Amino acid sequence: MMLLPCPHCGPRNSSEFRYVGEGTARPDPGTATIGVWRDYLYTRSNPAGWTTENWFHRAGCRRYFTVERHTVSNAVRASHRPAAQARTTSDPEGLSAGTERGPDAGPG
Amino acid sequence: MAESAAVARSPIAPTPPVAIENGWEVSARRSAADLRITDCTPLTKLLVLGPEGGVFGIPFGRAERDEEGVLVAGSGPGEWTLFGPPGTGEGLAGRAAAALPPDEGAVFDLTHGRAAMRITGPAAAAALARVCAVDLAGEVSPDGAAFRSSVAKVVTDVVRDDIDSQLSYLMHCDRAFGQYLFDALLDAGAEFDIEVDGFAGPGI
Repeated sequence: MMLLPCPHCGPRNSSEFRYVGEGTARPDPGTATIGVWRDYLYTRSNPAGWTTENWFHRAGCRRYFTVERHTVSNAVRASHRPAAQARTTSDPEGLSAGTERGPDAGPG
Repeated sequence: MAESAAVARSPIAPTPPVAIENGWEVSARRSAADLRITDCTPLTKLLVLGPEGGVFGIPFGRAERDEEGVLVAGSGPGEWTLFGPPGTGEGLAGRAAAALPPDEGAVFDLTHGRAAMRITGPAAAAALARVCAVDLAGEVSPDGAAFRSSVAKVVTDVVRDDIDSQLSYLMHCDRAFGQYLFDALLDAGAEFDIEVDGFAGPGI
């Protein structure tokens, strides 16, 4: 059994969640080339190590959140609400939420 | 031909004998067993959406009764479920809407869309633990705790709502899963000699 720490509900069985995917930065549609869009849609780093990914708590609070998880050991070292974490002066609405990456994550 | 009043039916088949209570077909069976399960679908159930932490003064994860005996459960961030006696939906919805900030939030009557049931007795936690992974120990889930989790693989809202100091959990799920969840809880409680106890108003 794998436990995931939901920032709202606390630790829950991973069967309560839906995996959304790796956090990837959405490119600017005004300037992105076809190759950049392809990478955004289909290319994932899939590291054997720490990665930052988004999950949805479908059987609990029904909220999306971000988790830093080790893909080999399934250890989790942080979880947070994406919008609150990603709000910055240049992104006050947190629209690029879930784009942070773990320090050991691979390129991409 | 004589006119007959409409009867509302729970998705959970009533255990005989059957009676009509506040316009609902319910089981009139009475049980004094240590562990009992009751179909509480006739209860009025309202979903209230509003600003997180800003309504009713009840946070996510807690449930309390208001001055009129309505059970208000913080069932999600910015989400509350109100349980009232059968047939009180309209008045309760008006009160809930009045508690919301102007032009913010919404109230939905889920009475006929959700199945509710209550499991009561000293072994209620042990029986529920057979089908629910959440820690039900008193330190973690005391009286007044509310959470949504998987119960027998069904997404279920659970409120610990002790009755006369007797351990009791009030649960509700999508109507379509009502009979399945009721049967799963009967199965989980079989080793504790669970029995069906009929619904009696006001029921909350």
